[in-house]
Amino acid sequence: MNDLSPQERLLRAIQRKKVDRPPVICTGGMMNAAIVDVMERTGHTLPAAHHEEELMADLAADVFANTGFENLGLPFCMTVEAEVLGSEINFGTLACEPKIAREVFPSVSRVEFRNLTGLMDSGRINTVARAGYILARKYPDIPVIGSLTGPISTAASIVDPITFLKELRKDREHAHRVLDYVSRFLVSYAQRLVESGISVIAVGDPTATGEILGPKMFEEFAVRYLNQVISEIHQLGVPVILHICGDMKAVKHLTPQLQSDALSTDALVNLRLLKEEYPGIVTMGNLSTYTLQFGTTDKIAEQTARLLKDEIDIISPACGLSTSTTLTNIHALTNMVKESGHGAS
Amino acid sequence: MSSDQKELFVQLSDAVVDMDEARTVELAQDVITKNYDTYEAIEKGLADGMDRAGKLFEEEEYFIPELLMCSDAMYAGLEVLKPHLKVDQQAEKFKVVIGVIEGDTHDIGKNLVKIMLETSGFEVIDLGRDIPPQAFVAKAKEVGARVIALSTLMTTTMDGMAEVIRLLEAEKIRKKFVVMVGGGPISQSFADRIGADGYAKDAAEAARLAQKLALEIAV
Repeated sequence: MNDLSPQERLLRAIQRKKVDRPPVICTGGMMNAAIVDVMERTGHTLPAAHHEEELMADLAADVFANTGFENLGLPFCMTVEAEVLGSEINFGTLACEPKIAREVFPSVSRVEFRNLTGLMDSGRINTVARAGYILARKYPDIPVIGSLTGPISTAASIVDPITFLKELRKDREHAHRVLDYVSRFLVSYAQRLVESGISVIAVGDPTATGEILGPKMFEEFAVRYLNQVISEIHQLGVPVILHICGDMKAVKHLTPQLQSDALSTDALVNLRLLKEEYPGIVTMGNLSTYTLQFGTTDKIAEQTARLLKDEIDIISPACGLSTSTTLTNIHALTNMVKESGHGAS
Repeated sequence: MSSDQKELFVQLSDAVVDMDEARTVELAQDVITKNYDTYEAIEKGLADGMDRAGKLFEEEEYFIPELLMCSDAMYAGLEVLKPHLKVDQQAEKFKVVIGVIEGDTHDIGKNLVKIMLETSGFEVIDLGRDIPPQAFVAKAKEVGARVIALSTLMTTTMDGMAEVIRLLEAEKIRKKFVVMVGGGPISQSFADRIGADGYAKDAAEAARLAQKLALEIAV
């Protein structure tokens, strides 16, 4: 058991097989761990690394080498999808992640459906896929995780989000059509990543929360299209980690419907209780990123110890990291998890 | 107030709660045709409806799409009624400068707060999203705002909120403004830590808090 590679450990944890200790990871994408501290040490920096495959691979490797997280995570933002689908992107700075500068369509009825095969050669799809290929070859024992922006968030990044949310009620037919298109696009993108050798797909969908959508719309739109994406990715033979933002109160009862292999949540959710209620799920999380940024190393170690005691299957930050989080604080998390393996059989 | 007038205001309020934009406009036109008091129609009809929608939101009967639809109905009614307000009824309102701090993609929460503030009688100057701290300070000074409302949904941009307060302090004008913060990763303890005057967990609460705090500060 002691010689499990990070790759084996993560895949075993996802499959609920015995492990010496839980893996500690940070997926990339919404949970980007390319913090300023790492970039200043190595000189492989953002925003350039969003665009160049070698640099992207180097930075992902730097994050792995410096933070103690046991994975390689790509990309470093949530805008790859929206860019390909036509939205204007502001690529940010070293310390500030990219964001949507302008959504391309004014409403769901005006979305232009493009040919998915053609889209696969546009934007940064190939950059991310090639970076994945470089990493998968160079680090066969480390899981390379490809992160996708979930269907609701991607749709709300190509249609003005306020209009989009209203149209989930006002223009359901077109809203469904757009979400189906976005979901099919996400699967094509995931397929590219899988072909390049990445071993796990992570989906983060911050606009798909119970607080924003409420239970009915979460079921009608979020559960349906997340499952569409997840089940198609399963056909490609890789597991899917799904991150749900928010406190989940309004949508907790829908948890068993989600087809993901592991469920990651925000710090607001008590994962121990969620696990008790739904023993079938593989839990991931959920160290507060606020504590990770502002807390003392003792406090971080203490909260990590609680997650270990609660037998959370995969240990991870609960949300996107602030890029000003220090390496010292991240080590308090990753070292604590790794030390927990000592003495285990 | 005649019972017909009272009834009409209730119907206006209901139309907002029911997210029925067309009906709200129709009823607002009735108010004009019947020569009823437009100010009261806004207060007891539209604003009341939005207040009820806000409560349903807090009770988790309504979620964001519903609240947005209610606000569309309210604004549509307001478009009809506003031109008929008497001049003396257009009293000067407290101004709020609102925006999403630099570096943020999201502005859903900010838009909701803006809607609820407008419903509560504030004049809202919306800077939009991805706004550098200095711009909040400059605009607040320029328009003579009483409240600065800062929003974020990402932990990455929380430092920008503290920066706004530092800038106000540096210019020795901190006490002239109520600074409110909100958004996904923000908590009361964060607000306390950076020296903000208030934190609200949702849009309805933010509007109530702004009313309370705006009256408290001596300008």
